[in-house]
Amino acid sequence: MTGAVSDTTSENASATPRTRKSVGEVIEVAGLPIFLVILIAFFMLHPQTQDLFAARPNLINILGNQSVTGLVAVAMVIPLVSGYFDLSVAAIAGLANVAIASAMVDHGLSTPLAILVGVGVGLAAGALNAFLVAGLRLNGFIATLGTFTLLSGVLQWYTKGTSIFGVPRGFANWGSLTWLGIPRPFYLLIVVAAIVWYALMHTPNGRQLEAIGSNENAARLVGISVDRLVALSFLGSALVASIAGALLTSRQGGADPTVATNYLFPALAAVFLGATTIRPGRYNVWGTIIGIFTLAVAINGFTFLGAEAWVQNAFNGLALVLAVAVSTLMGRQRERKAKRLLMDTDDVPPAPEPTSGPGEAAAKATPSHA
Amino acid sequence: MSLRGVTKTFAGTRALRRVDVDFFPGQIHAVCGENGSGKSTMIKILAGVYEADPGGTVTLNGEEFAADKLTPGLAHRQGVRVVHQDLGVFPELTVEENLAINGGFQTGFLGNIRWLRQHRSTEQLLRDFKIPARPTSTLAELSLAARTEVAIARSLRDQDDRGRGLLILDEPTAALPVTQVESLLTSLRDLAASGQSILYVSHRLDEVLSLADCVSVLRDGELVGTFATSELDESRLIDLMLGRAVHKALEHEPVSFAGTPVFKVENLVAGPLKGVSFDVHPGELLGVAGVMGSGRSTLLKSIFGVIKAESGAYTLDGQPLAASSPKIAMQAGIAMVPEHRLRDASFGNESVDMNISIGVIGSYWRRLVVARRSLRRDSDRLISDFRVKVPSGRSLMSSLSGGNQQKVIVARWLRRKPRLVLLDEPTQGVDVGARAEIYNILRRATQEGAAAVLVASDFQEMAQVVDRAIVIRNGRVVAELRGDEITAHRLARLSHAGQTLHASGAPANRAPVNTLQKG
Repeated sequence: MTGAVSDTTSENASATPRTRKSVGEVIEVAGLPIFLVILIAFFMLHPQTQDLFAARPNLINILGNQSVTGLVAVAMVIPLVSGYFDLSVAAIAGLANVAIASAMVDHGLSTPLAILVGVGVGLAAGALNAFLVAGLRLNGFIATLGTFTLLSGVLQWYTKGTSIFGVPRGFANWGSLTWLGIPRPFYLLIVVAAIVWYALMHTPNGRQLEAIGSNENAARLVGISVDRLVALSFLGSALVASIAGALLTSRQGGADPTVATNYLFPALAAVFLGATTIRPGRYNVWGTIIGIFTLAVAINGFTFLGAEAWVQNAFNGLALVLAVAVSTLMGRQRERKAKRLLMDTDDVPPAPEPTSGPGEAAAKATPSHA
Repeated sequence: MSLRGVTKTFAGTRALRRVDVDFFPGQIHAVCGENGSGKSTMIKILAGVYEADPGGTVTLNGEEFAADKLTPGLAHRQGVRVVHQDLGVFPELTVEENLAINGGFQTGFLGNIRWLRQHRSTEQLLRDFKIPARPTSTLAELSLAARTEVAIARSLRDQDDRGRGLLILDEPTAALPVTQVESLLTSLRDLAASGQSILYVSHRLDEVLSLADCVSVLRDGELVGTFATSELDESRLIDLMLGRAVHKALEHEPVSFAGTPVFKVENLVAGPLKGVSFDVHPGELLGVAGVMGSGRSTLLKSIFGVIKAESGAYTLDGQPLAASSPKIAMQAGIAMVPEHRLRDASFGNESVDMNISIGVIGSYWRRLVVARRSLRRDSDRLISDFRVKVPSGRSLMSSLSGGNQQKVIVARWLRRKPRLVLLDEPTQGVDVGARAEIYNILRRATQEGAAAVLVASDFQEMAQVVDRAIVIRNGRVVAELRGDEITAHRLARLSHAGQTLHASGAPANRAPVNTLQKG
C-alpha cells in the first residue's frame, strides 16, 4: 500500500465517522460472548446435561463460586493494563481469607473490624509488590511469583496447615444467600468490576496507566509519574484481591490455607481469554468476567457429560495457551496492517518496541525482524 | 529568544563552540549540519537538558539566563517545547486521550473524566491546529503526519500566546513517508503564521529550503552562519555543511573492475525499493548512498534474508541465490555488519571471545565439550590481527569502546571468509582512528577477492573509501559514480535532490540509471 492511499484513508476516517464495523471486527469483539452463549445453549439442550446443568441450584452455584475467581481475575487486570503481571493476587486473597477468619474466630473481633484487618493485611502485601516492582524495578512476573510462593508459605505457617472454622453465622450466610434469585456474591463481583472498569477507563490515572502499558518510555517522557501509578495499581490489585478473600471467608464459613492459591490459574486463563474480546488485544474488565464464566460453564457442563477431575486443569491450561495464541496473533496482524498502511519505509531509527498483544507483554523479548 | 556565546564540552571534546543564534516570533528557523555537528547538543541546551559550559547566555522571552543555569523546568515555563522524532504518543489510546495524557484531563468531583467537555475542548484544539481527526479515533488510525501534529498540539496545549516560547522539532519528517511530508509542512507554516517561533532540525535539505525563513549551519560544533533561505540553494547549503573538505581527492588509487561480478541484484522490490539492480566485482568496495528512509538498509537486510523481498533475483558467484534467512545467506558466504551495534550485533554481557566466535561456535564442538583452549587461541589471534584494544579475550564486550566493539564484530564476520560483506553504518559511534582501521581491515578482505557493499550516511567518509557508489532515491538507483567522480558533495546532492517535489502524485518515472557526466 502506498503512502498516497494511507493519506486518503486517514482523511476519510476523519471526515466520515465510521459507524459500521466489518464482520471480522464484530467477531473479534463479540467472539467470546457468542461462544459462551453457544456453550450454555449446548448444555441446556444436550439430553445428558439439560436436567443437571439447567437446574437452579447448579446455576446459582456457578454464579456464586465464580464470583471469588472473578474478583481475583479483576484484581489481576489492574496492573496488567500498565504491562505488569501480578501473580500474587490469589495468595493475597488467601492471606485476607485467613486473616479475617482468624480475627473473628481466634481474636473475637467484630465482622467489620475483622474485614478491615483482612484488607489491611492484603494491602500490606500489595505494598510489598509495589516496592519490589515500582520501587526496585524488578521484573513484575518473577517478583510476584516470588511473593505468591512466599505468602503461600506464610499461610501454611500461620495456620499450621489446618482450617479455621466458626465465623459468625450472619457473616457466613451472606455469601450463600440470594437477592432476586441471584446470589449476593455475584452482585459484589459486578459492583467491584464496575468500579475497577470506571477507574481504568474514565479517570485520568486509569488512562495514564494504559499509556504506560502502551509505551512506558514515552509515558515517562511526557511527564507521567510511571512509578507512582504502577505502585498504585499494585495496591488497587491487592485491595480487590482482599475483597475476594473476604468473600471467600463468608462462602467457606472460615479459612482453608490451601484453597485460595488454586484460583491463580483459572484467573490467569480468564484474564487472557478476556483480552481476546470486548477490547481485543487489551486486558479488560468485562472481557475477563466473560472469560471466567466461559471457563466455569465449560468445565461444569463437561463434568456432567462424565469428564473426570483432570479435565479441569487440562481445560484451564488449554484455554490459557489458546487465549495467548489468539490475542498475540491478532495483535501481530493488527500491527502489520497498521504498518503497511503507514509506512512505505522501514529505514526509520529503532523505536521502542510497542507492546502490542497481551502475549507480547508476557514475553517482551520477541524477535523484532521486519 | 537567543543563544549567546554558548559552548558545551563533553569529556574534553567541544560539542558546541561559542554559538550565537536568534529566534524570532513567527519565524521558522532551520538548523542544518552533518551528524555530530552539534545540532542535538544545541537543542538540549535550549531545553535545559544539558548544562552548557559557564559563560554563555540563553535569552528566553527577553529574560536572560546563564547558559549553565537553565533547567528543563525553567525552559518549559518560558515556553520551550521539544517534539522528538519518536513523538512519545500512544497508538492504542484515542486522540483526545493522547492530547490530555500528561495532565490535560478535565475532571469532575469524583475524579472522573468529564468526557463531554473533553470532547468539546479536544475538538477546539484539533480545529486550532487544523488536525484532520476526530477526538475518539485511536491514534493508530491516523497518518504519521497527523500523529506528529497531535504531538505538537499536545506540547503547545497549555500555551495561549503563540508569540511566546519556542517549538523545537527534531527531525519530524525522518519517519514520514514522502507523501505525508507536505501535509506536515503546511501545518507548520500555519503555526508560524499564527506567531509561533519554530526551530526545525532536518536532514532533508529541499524541505528545509522550502519551509524555513532562515537556516543556521553548524559544522564541527561551530556556527558557520545564519542565512536567509532566499540566498541559499541546495548546492550552497551542502557546501556550507561540509566545509572545504568537499573536494578532497580520494584516499586510495581508483580501481576499475571487470570480469564476472561476485554478486548481482536484479530488480529488487522491497519496502521503499521499487526495482533496484546493481553488481559488485571481486575486490570492490561499493557504496550505497541515499537519505535515511531511502531504503538503504532495506537493501542490505533483503540480501541477507532478514526482510522478505517482494520480488527480485540475486546471483552469487554465478549461482542463483535465494536468501530467505540469515542462516542461508551465511552458508552461501554473505556476511552482514548491522546498523545498530548494541541492539543487533553486540552481546554485551558475554566475553570478547564469545562475541568473536559466536558465528563459528559449532566448529569448536569436540564430543561433549567446547574446545575452549583452541577457541581462545584463535580469538587471541583475531584480536591482534584486527587490532582490538582489550586486556584479554575474557573481558566483557560491554567494557570495550564502540570502535573496539565494532572491530570484534567485523572480525566475527571476516573470519568466516565471506564472499560478500554487507556493512550498514559500520563506523557509527566509532572514533576516527578506529574508523580508518576498520576500513583497512575491510580492504584486506576485499584484496583476497571478496566484495563489499557499504551503507553510510557520512558521505565524506564514503567518498574516501569506496571504489564505486550508487545513489538510491525514491526507490530506484538514480546515479552511479566511479573513481574521482565520487565526492561528498555529489553524493549529498544526488541523495537529497528534489525529494518532496517529485514525490507527490504519481511515482516519478525516471530512467533507472543515469550515469553522471564528469565535470
